[in-house]
Formats: sequence, C-alpha cells, structure tokens
Amino acid sequence: MIVLTPLKKFKFPVYAECINPDVFQNKSIAEIAVLPVYEGNKQKKLGELFKIEENPAETPNITINGDVGEVRRIGEGMKNGEILINGNAGMHLGEKMSGGKITVNGNAGGWTGSDMKGGIIEIHGDASDYLASPYRGTSKGMHGGKITVDGKVGSDSACYMHGGVIKIKGDAGPFLGFSMSDGVIHVAKNAATRLGANMRGGKIIVSGFVEEVLPTFTIDNVKPKVKIDDTESVQGPFYVFLGDLAEKGSGKVFVSKANNPHMRTYEKFL
Amino acid sequence: MTELLIKNGFVFDPSNGINGEKMDIAIKNGKIVESVNERKAKKIDATGLTVMPGGVDIHTHIAGAEVNTGRLMRPEDHVKDVVRKTAITRSGVGYSVPSTFVTGYRYSKMGYTTIMNPSMPPLEAKHTHEELNDTPLLDKASYPLLGDWWFVLEYLSKGNLAECAKYVAWMMGTSKGYAIKIVNPGGLESWGFGRNVHSIDDEVKNFCITPREIMCGLAKVNKMLNLPHSIHLHTNNLGLPGNYITTLETMKALESVATDDKPVAHITHLQFSSFAGEGWGSMHSAAEEISNYINSHSHITFDMGQVIFTDTTTMTADGPFEYTLYELSGHKWVNSDVETETSGGIIPFHYKRNNAVNTTQWSIGLELALMIKDPWKMFMTTDHPNGGPFSAYPKIIAWLTSKKARSATLKRCSKKGQKRSLLPTIDRELSLYELAIVTRAGQAKALGLASKGHLGVGADADIAIYNVNPEKIDIAKTYKKVRRAFGNAAYTIKDGKIAVKDGEVVQHVDGKTMWCDVQTAEPVKIDDEMKRKFKEYWTVEYDNYPVYDHYLKVPSPIIVKADV
Amino acid sequence: MPIVKSVVCPICGCLCDDIEVTVENNEVVKMKNGCAICESKFLGYKGEHRVHQPMIRKDGKLVPVSMDEAVHKAAETLANANYPILYGWSSTSCEAQRIGVELAEELGGVLDNTSVVCHGPSILGIQEVGIPTCTLGQIRHRADLIIYWGCDPWSAHPRHLERYTSFTEGKFEKSEWKAYMQKVKAHAGQKKIESAERRGFVKYHPHAHTQACLVSGAPQTLKKEGRKLIVIDVRKSMTAEMADYFIQVEPNKDYELMQALRALVRDQELDVDKVAGVPVEYLEEVADALVNCEFGVIFFGMGLTQTAGKFRNIEVAISLVRDLNRRTKFAIMPMRGHFNVAGANVVSAWQSGYPFGVDFSLGYPRYNPGETTCMDVLLRDENDASLVIAADPGANFPKRAVENMVKHPLIVIDPHMNATAMLADILFPSAFVGIEVEGTAYRMDSVPLPLKKVVEPPEGILSDEEILKKILEEVRVIKSQKTEAA
Repeated sequence: MIVLTPLKKFKFPVYAECINPDVFQNKSIAEIAVLPVYEGNKQKKLGELFKIEENPAETPNITINGDVGEVRRIGEGMKNGEILINGNAGMHLGEKMSGGKITVNGNAGGWTGSDMKGGIIEIHGDASDYLASPYRGTSKGMHGGKITVDGKVGSDSACYMHGGVIKIKGDAGPFLGFSMSDGVIHVAKNAATRLGANMRGGKIIVSGFVEEVLPTFTIDNVKPKVKIDDTESVQGPFYVFLGDLAEKGSGKVFVSKANNPHMRTYEKFL
Repeated sequence: MTELLIKNGFVFDPSNGINGEKMDIAIKNGKIVESVNERKAKKIDATGLTVMPGGVDIHTHIAGAEVNTGRLMRPEDHVKDVVRKTAITRSGVGYSVPSTFVTGYRYSKMGYTTIMNPSMPPLEAKHTHEELNDTPLLDKASYPLLGDWWFVLEYLSKGNLAECAKYVAWMMGTSKGYAIKIVNPGGLESWGFGRNVHSIDDEVKNFCITPREIMCGLAKVNKMLNLPHSIHLHTNNLGLPGNYITTLETMKALESVATDDKPVAHITHLQFSSFAGEGWGSMHSAAEEISNYINSHSHITFDMGQVIFTDTTTMTADGPFEYTLYELSGHKWVNSDVETETSGGIIPFHYKRNNAVNTTQWSIGLELALMIKDPWKMFMTTDHPNGGPFSAYPKIIAWLTSKKARSATLKRCSKKGQKRSLLPTIDRELSLYELAIVTRAGQAKALGLASKGHLGVGADADIAIYNVNPEKIDIAKTYKKVRRAFGNAAYTIKDGKIAVKDGEVVQHVDGKTMWCDVQTAEPVKIDDEMKRKFKEYWTVEYDNYPVYDHYLKVPSPIIVKADV
Repeated sequence: MPIVKSVVCPICGCLCDDIEVTVENNEVVKMKNGCAICESKFLGYKGEHRVHQPMIRKDGKLVPVSMDEAVHKAAETLANANYPILYGWSSTSCEAQRIGVELAEELGGVLDNTSVVCHGPSILGIQEVGIPTCTLGQIRHRADLIIYWGCDPWSAHPRHLERYTSFTEGKFEKSEWKAYMQKVKAHAGQKKIESAERRGFVKYHPHAHTQACLVSGAPQTLKKEGRKLIVIDVRKSMTAEMADYFIQVEPNKDYELMQALRALVRDQELDVDKVAGVPVEYLEEVADALVNCEFGVIFFGMGLTQTAGKFRNIEVAISLVRDLNRRTKFAIMPMRGHFNVAGANVVSAWQSGYPFGVDFSLGYPRYNPGETTCMDVLLRDENDASLVIAADPGANFPKRAVENMVKHPLIVIDPHMNATAMLADILFPSAFVGIEVEGTAYRMDSVPLPLKKVVEPPEGILSDEEILKKILEEVRVIKSQKTEAA
C-alpha cells in the first residue's frame, strides 16, 4: 500500500520505528510524512528522508525500495501486516514483533527478530550477528514465530531462545543457540564452534559440517531423521548429543553423520 | 535576599504539634523564619494544599561502589525507563537502579529533600561521595560499614571500648560518614572465607568475638561518642524463615545498653527480619511478635523495608544473604567483598504477586507499620532498591493510609499468601499527621537532624506541598488520588528555592553532604606505628585512604563532642 | 630536596600508591618503589614528543595557534556534527571524565572508552552472569590458590604479585617469595650442572634432569602447603616460569577448557580424553585443587577477552568461579590495563547508567555494544567528527577504523604527539594526570585513589578537565546562538 524510497544514501544511523504497518494504518500520506524519525542526533520527519507514495495493491502494507541498511527498528513491535524490503535492512528489524510478516530481498543487520513473539521474518540474503537474540543482560529471548535466512548468519544467534523456529540455509556463526531452553533451529550447511553452549533444552540440527561439539555434550544415540516443525522434517542419519552438562541441560544437538566423519570416535560410547 | 511565603496551606508539622492547621510558612535565606515582608516576598498560594516538611529517607542505596555495580550489570533494567535531557536537567536512566541525576530529580518530584545512603565501605568512601555530589536537589549523608571492621573486632574482643570509640570517631571523619552501620555482624568477616554466623552468640572465626558483643559494644561506643543517630543495624539471619527469634534476641541484647528512653539501635528493613516458620513452605509473618516487643520497649526504632511486586535489584553488604538469593533464584549474581571491612552482593529479584512467600513479605512490611502504636518508632522505606524502587513510595503511602488500597492489592495475590496475611484483621489507617511522622518528622528525629523534618522557625527551608485537600477528600477512600498527589509534588522547596513545580524540576539546587566531625578528648595518633598497621591491613597507604575535604562538593560538617 | 611520599602511579591498573618521588627544580630526579614502567614514565615524560602549544591543521600541516582559536574551532566542529564520537578517557582523571559525559550529552554524540579494545568483553560477561569478586586486599590476606589466565602480570602489571598475590604477606596467608627464590636457585644450579655436563666436566646423568616447571605433566606441585600459583596461557610467559603449575592451552580453546572444568567441578564425567590439548585426568586433578582450596582467585586478561569467544570466555570463566562458590570461596578479577579505564566505566555508569559505548544522539543514553560502540561506528563510517582524549586509537584501532576516523575532523587532547595526534586536525596539549595534575582514579578492583601533583606542568599547558570545560562552554554558546538564529 505504501511505498517508501530512500531519498539518499544514509550515512548517519536512522531510527524509524514508525515504519510499521500498525503505525501506518488509517493514516494519510501527509500524516505518514510527518512521523518523527532520528537521523544522527537530529530529529527529522519521515518525509524528509523517504519518498512516500501510495500503491493500489493491498499487500504488502509497506514496501521499501532501496538500501535501508542504516535504518534501524523497522517493524519494531508490529502485530500484523506485511513489510517488503527490496534492499538491505538495518539493525533491530522486527524486534519484539508478535505477528505479521517481514521479507527482505537483501541482507539484514544485527538483532533482527530480537525478542520475537510471533510472526514471520524471511531474509533472502545474510543475517548479521545476534539474530533473534535479546537485549544485553536479558535472559529470555525469542519466544515464538518463524525466521528463515537463505544466506548465512553471524555469531551469537538465537541466544536464550525459548520458542519458535529458525531455519538457516547457509552457515551459522559461533555460539548458535547459546543458553537456549526451547525451540528448534536448523542449519542446512555448516555450524561454527560452541554450538548450543549452556543449552538447557530445545533442538539444534546441523546438516553440514561441525568442527567439534563442546566437551560438555555427550553422545546419546543416532537418529535417522528429525522433525523441525509441523511442516518439515530433515533426513539424517544424525548423531544426537545431549547437553550442556555444565548447566545440567537436556538440550539436543543433531549433527549429520555423513558430513562429520571425524565424529565417528563418539560411536564407542553408544 | 530571597524571601518566600507559602500562604494558607494545611500544615502538618508533627515535631511542633501542628495537625492540619491553616497557616503561612515564611522563608528567608534558605531558612524558615517568623515572618517576611509580604509585599516583597515571592508568594505560593497553598490554599487547599497539604504542606509538610520535605521528605526524609533514612535508608536508601543510591550511591557508591555497590550501587554502581548494580547499574553496570543491569542494562536491561535501564532500557525500559529512559530520561531525556532538558534545558535544566541531565539525561539518564531509571527504574530500580537509576543514574545519579535521575535519583535526585525523582526523589525531589515526590517532595523529598534529605536522603541517607546506608552502606558505605570506608575504603571506597570517595566513590560514594563522588556519586552523592552528582545527586542534585537533595541533602545527603552516608553510613560507613563498621560492624565487621577488623579494628572494631579487635578492640571489642579485648573489651577496650575507649580505644574502639576513638577509632570509630576517626573513621567517621576519615570517611566523612554520619552514623555507625552494622550489617549481619560477624557474618561479613566470616564470608571472607565463604562462611556465615547463624546466631548472635556464634563465635567469629579468627577474632574471638560474637555478634552480640559487636552490637552491644558499638551501641555503647555510639553513646560514648554522642553520635546524633543510634547504631543502624541489619540483623543476623536476615531473610531466613524463623529469623524473628534472632531479631528478638538482638533487641533484647541491646536492652542493657539503654540508660534512658532514647533509642540505642535502629533496625533497618525490619520486614526481612520478621519471618516465622521452619522453611519456605511454612514461612509466615512474625509481625505480631516483633511489634509486641517494640510496643513495650523504647530503645528501638525501625524502618519497614516494604516489598513492591516488581522486578527490582537487591544489593546489601550482607554477602552471604545475597548468595542465598542466588541459590534460590539462579539469577546473575555479584559478590564484592572489601578487604578488612565488609562484604557485599547484588542480585536482581522479582517479587511476584502469585508467590506465597513474596505476598507474605509484602504483607509483613505493612503489618509491622500498622501494628506499632507509636508512629515515632516506625519509618517508611523500601530499602531501595532491595524491596522495590523508591519511586513506588506513593503506593506505600496509599497502603498505609487506606485499608481499601491494601485490600485491592491483597485480593490479587497468591491465595496461600492471602490466607496467611494479618492485614484483613487490621483496620488502622494512618492520618496525614502520622504519615508526616513516618516519612519525615520521625526519620529526622531518629537521625538527630535538628533542622530537618519540621517547619519551626530555624529549620532548613525544605518543604513539600502536595495536591491533597484534607477538608475535601477522604484519603482512605480516594487512595488513587493520594498516590498521584504524593508522586508529583505541587511544589518541592529546597533551601528556600522552588526546585519542583507540578511534578517537574524547574531549578537546579546542589544539596549538601552532611557528616559527623567527632571530637574526642584525645584524637587517634597517626604515627609510624599506625601507618605500619595500616599497610598491613589494607593495600593502600594511610595518606591515600581518607576522603579529603575537596571530595565533598558542598560539605556540611556537624561537630559532635564525644564523651571519650 | 622534597620527597613526595604515597604517590599513586598513573600507569597500569595496579595503581601502586607507595611510590616515593624526589623533586628538584620542578623535575623528578629520583624514584623509589616503582617498577621499571613507572620509573620510565616519571623520569621520561618530558621527552621530545611533548606538545607545547595548541595546533590546527592548515594546508595539511599542524601549526601553532592560540588556545581561544583552537577551542572555538573544536567547539564549532563538534556542535555542528550530526554524530560525533568522544573516545578515550582511560588515562585521565575522573574529574575530566565527568566533563566528558556532560559534553557527549550536550552534543548528542557517542561516548566511549578503551574498554572497547580491552576489557569491554569482561563487562559484557558481567552483564550476563554477574561476578563474584573482591578488593585486592582480600586476595592478599586470604588467597591460597592464585590463577592467572590469559595474562602475564610479570610483564604488564609488574608489581601485581608482590603487592597483591603470591609474593605478599597477608593476615591468613604467607608470601611464597622464599619458596620461589629457592626454586630459582635450584634451577640456576641445575643449569650450571647441565652446562658442566655439556663441556664434559661432569658425567652425564639423565635421571638428574628434572624440569623446574611442568608444561604437560600432572599437577603434583599443587599438593604443597602455602600459596599455590597456576598460570594458564598459550605460551610459557614470564609469569608461567614462576608458577607451581602451568597449563598450556591450545589457542582459542579457553572456552572449552573452562566449560569442561565447570562440569568436572560438578563431578560430571566427560566423553572426551583431552580438552584444549590438556588430558582430562590432569584437568580432574586441577578441578580437585580448585575445590579444595580455602580461597581461590582467577585473574584474567586479553588472552580471554580478545580471543575467539570474547565476552563468552569471560562469561564462562565467571560461571566457573560462581559454580566453585558452592564448594569453597572463589573470586575473579579482570586485570585492567590503563590506570583509569575502571574510572571511565564507573563515572560513565553513575552518570548515564552505562559503562561505555553510550550513545546520546536520541536525547537520552542508549547502550548496545556492536551498535553504539565507537569502533563499530567507525568501521561503518557513520560518524562525522571525533574527539580523542587520553588514548591512542591511531595506533590501536584496526586500519579501516582509523582510515574512516581521519576522513572527518579529528580533535585530539594529549600530552604527547602520539600516533593519533599526528593525524589530528585540532590538537590540544594537556598535562599529565598523576604527575602534573591531581585527580581521582580507580584501581582494577574499583578502589578509588587520589592521584597527586608532584611538579608543575609546563607554561600554558592546561589539564584535560580545564580544556574540556572550555570546549563545553563554547559549545553551549554556539548552540544557543544557533537556536536564537533559528
């Protein structure tokens, strides 16, 4: 319905949590144009930074055409509606959202989907660090909803996750699922070290290569396949590790048997 | 110079027996005077408004190493409560551990003008004072932690009260402190090796002394030094079910020190020390036993330590207790022991309505307050931020003055907690006069602050004016209005200047830092022997230990002549 | 010749305060008690790199100007900036740091300090799990097990062991200095025998050769009485030479080692034989030593904060110490580098609520490392002006960050023409805190100490605090003129 085009390449960070279907709802173009945003330390109006036009199509509610890699907090707290970004998206995309859908045809910045409660985020490029991880010092993370990333994700993603599903088609950086207690994460390619550190519950499934699991994980059994959510299962066979013993955890890390021949040494414990 | 006249308000000044009389208050040069030139003076029309002395908070953790570590480790607490910069005020963050400027502004907005920071490790006293300097709009003071100080333990274990008194006097001046603070006596030194004491007669390892001896010794020292406040005491076994027995034993032990009707000890956040029961499952209130004792004795004052149902941050010098909270909750835990002097701990804690123990705690604070017959013995605090943030004080005011408010909160609590609560049997509602005692007059009197907490001629012009018309509203019925009124003062006057108007800060005022300059007949000799002992006990040189005068932005020393 | 006693040394986080300085004709001529680094600063600070006048870059060259001109240009640059950064702060006084917070707030900029390249990860770890710690005196009096992990105090904090840990006398524990000297003598004696054997003076006895320090043997030496010293590092540092037990951990594998120790301390079994290159049986014995001590402490440094895992390394180290507190008494402490980086964190926290990386651009303080830390702001080229004080990012920051920093006006306040000053557009010479200016600093355990002034600064050189106050005043004047004009 509304199409936003950046009027320039943003150098200073822009904070635009008003770019949100719930906020735009029932507002005219003129009203949208005067919504407050910050560019660096200057307060500005949305219309000073974006060209705002109307699109007769019903969905998506908001389309952004252009690079908004410096624009932060888009879709923050949204409850319904759809945002489509044809370009890179900035940090805190869809933070605290509880419904609706965000699609990014590009890369997403840090803290995408932080503290998510529901809804869908689809990143067709890469996601940066702290995907779905909560604010510093908080010990409860993503609670529900679904995030898919076609590319790779950075480090410390899905920390403190306690619900929801994350599907990563590329590689995952270190500390994926740190201290997670529930929820499911699938990595189609390789996962970096310290996978599932401090895990207490939940599932992490890696179909690619894992250099090593932490010494505080023990091998439990081998499973032929594992369920991600109601729509999807992944074919194994998988080594199933339980951990993290340092936290008396009962999380499960599934590691592809075929792509990790160096883990054969664990078989002697089965 | 600056003259101010507050006209026609309902004045509550318990120290001078004034109970809601309509009268004028005249201010000149920061003090209350008989009268001013009405034509020249700036006037405040207080018609229909309640006028009280500025609030006095006898126990609130708002400055120093421990508080700051609490700030540092809880960014998630700050992010939910941000404060913007204005032309007159600095920016900052709030909630349970606010930044220093915000602390000053928020207290002032509630009509408070004097606060006491109760926990200062002497080695880090400079830090406390630096933060107090950055806490605007309030007069403040700080209590050095002395109950487990090696010098005190050594002199008292030898029975040498006079030497102990000399060193306590020296420490008061060196740390620029105001009163003797004792926390879990004997427990903090034991915590140096991970241990604790469990009764007031347990011997403290390596020091041949018991908590009883420490408390009684320091209470006697306090008398010898003529300090304006009594010893300020956080009891042993705090926070443990069944601890009311220790509290009773403590109060009984101190009876022998009392020689007249004046209090010899102030027990702080008494709620945490009034638990009956054998374990958490059977934990219930001992408010009746405790209040019966206090009602029949005159040597104890106390403050509530009221719990608020919220996510807050606990921080005390009681290291072993904070560790126990870590074992119970599993939250992030800080421990901060200070060499030769004290320990400390910090842990976030969430008091929940549907938790029976937390409900009982909430109830105990109010039970204690309402079952005490003489309001001059009882003061309102939350032990900020341990029981909850000080910004919740208006809620407590509503609970104290309105049974309706108490019932409204109680009925949303855990069923088990509701059944155990004594509140349904308590009908008492404090009047505005009594409220003025428990939030200002009584605290100032217990602290020995002659020019605070009252509106007589000669008092500091620290005044709070609230939007409550005692002739028009029934404070027990319309408690929501009372809450709002006490949360947003119509006017807060500090040193005769209007600091807050309609709940907004309108002027910056630097408060004073008060401290006791205790003069003994023979001051402690700072000779080579003393300096050598210093080097053995601490890792800093003697010369670098004291809080030098320039550390206090606006110093206000109070000369105290000791009897030793 | 006046001797100034109890001088606090303004170099490293040890903040030794027993230095004695002899002053003659406004020069420091003699020193007592300081380590080599301390002496070299007090005796050598007036070197050829001292800047004597404010300077502004004109036509590519730094030329001397008046203080007023420099202040005005700096204030104008900062007041007009949309996203300025104010970085450094670790080698100046708390009094100056307080003005820094006020200035950053007034400008709506980003206030950050050297934690961001040093112990920032430690702070992040504390924000996740807390920290069981204490002041250094508690270590001196009580600790019987001292562990240095990923740090080398012998080189970086030279008097740490003699003032606070193994080689100091406490109320409950004695110094291990004598035992260490005996070990050194034995080692020297051993070397003489080996040399004699090589030259054929003495017959070769293979069994007589014992190692003075173990690298990969079982920790037998931990069974002794008295204070014990364990060093864990990727290479055998100078401090490791003195240790009772040295664990050589595989680079970037500290996290695994600590997580494994956490499980062992809880009496759990591990599937693997080795962790981080160390056999699990040795680790089990180390875990026993950890659990059976009276009071243990772990000191850690860049070996943990700046290797793979970063703040999670600190988090797991703190979790290990926290788990140990169930069984015995244990503490952990970061070895802060600069003498007042702790002060920068402390001042920033009490005034704004956050210890570093504080962004005031929205009118209130915000904190999110990775978003509001100035290293990241520079790498993303988001800022348009910088003020650097009491630090040297020109030498320490990654190349791309420095390149981006010099693309925009750079204001530097420093006594020396350091790497950053050489890149400055506006340069203010300042006085040395702790030598020419007094002030407060916080030790690595957050104990505040008063730095002294022992000599007068050179003519015309102001303190950091005075320079910042001037800039702040001028910024306010310029901003009020702008609002009037608007």
